Amino acid sequence: MSDIEDAQQTVREAMAQPGDWLTGEQRLAVWRELRDSSSNELDQQRRQALSPNTIDGVHAATKELSASAMEVVHRTASDPGRLTRAWADEHISELGEETYTELVGVTAIVSVLDRFDRAMGRPEQPLPQPTAGEPARVRPDDVGNIGAWVSQTTGPTKANVSRTLSLVPVTNQAWRQLVDTHYSHGAEFMNLQWEFPLSRPQAELVATRSTALNECFY
Amino acid sequence: MSSEANGLTVDLKAAINRDHVGDVGVPAGAELLAFTNAVELDQADIDATRAALADVIGGQATLEAAAIIAIFNGLVRVADGTGIQLDQGVFTASIEERDLLGINEFAGAANSTDVVAVDANAQAVHQLFG
Repeated sequence: MSDIEDAQQTVREAMAQPGDWLTGEQRLAVWRELRDSSSNELDQQRRQALSPNTIDGVHAATKELSASAMEVVHRTASDPGRLTRAWADEHISELGEETYTELVGVTAIVSVLDRFDRAMGRPEQPLPQPTAGEPARVRPDDVGNIGAWVSQTTGPTKANVSRTLSLVPVTNQAWRQLVDTHYSHGAEFMNLQWEFPLSRPQAELVATRSTALNECFY
Repeated sequence: MSSEANGLTVDLKAAINRDHVGDVGVPAGAELLAFTNAVELDQADIDATRAALADVIGGQATLEAAAIIAIFNGLVRVADGTGIQLDQGVFTASIEERDLLGINEFAGAANSTDVVAVDANAQAVHQLFG
């Protein structure tokens, strides 16, 4: 098994465990909703609309996720490029910025796992069994307003994209493990002529097309 | 940046044009773009484009390409979902390119109104992941 697949297995198991502010059951519920979003009628109608705000309808609360949490997961999963600060502020106000950030982070992480399997022609994997227990509920001391919608680390870092989930360290650890094994390769990232099977220009070409197709401004 | 370091001249405009799946100046570029499009757009030819890519660059490199497609699906979500701003160094270094390539037309551009000076020395993607 490659480093990539090893990391995915570790992170897959982590998604079933209590996180920062969500239980294992809630994190797995996020994963279920991500999978539902690809065929969910409301998500598809919003995605096809000129503006998602023109479509009436809400995602109903479930046993694990409130209606607001459902909205965060479904919009992050299905139409991330058109999220706005006003939308985020509404849900941060309702959920708290820590829970909001974890919902975004878990949605992103499980989207990576599922997309990889799809790319490799592998069947969708069954969700793991949840691990009982309480979330860590630890807010880091070194976070503050650096211009993002949620608090992020004010400590030394390379750039904003490295800070995205710093408010939720348990989730951030899993996320950074995926980023490191799937793309940045630790210190090798500074080596523009790295010697991995996929050359650096090839890797950047795939990254460029992927971000363009996702209309990612950042 | 990486293309220059590797002695390549890359057609960036073609690289971000979803309708282009031909040569862009990178070895196996056409196959890489076809595979990326197939996965990102959930097309019916994922298996065929993956097999074609593996024929050219091998199975491990193809797995790495799949990993990059996958991780960028996550990156776009954490970036857009947390509302991070463009770093000042990247913003100022890429003004012309963003305009030329049409990146300023992306929906998420409206959210980067308050560019934060975090690392004025970061001028390329490879400097963003510390």
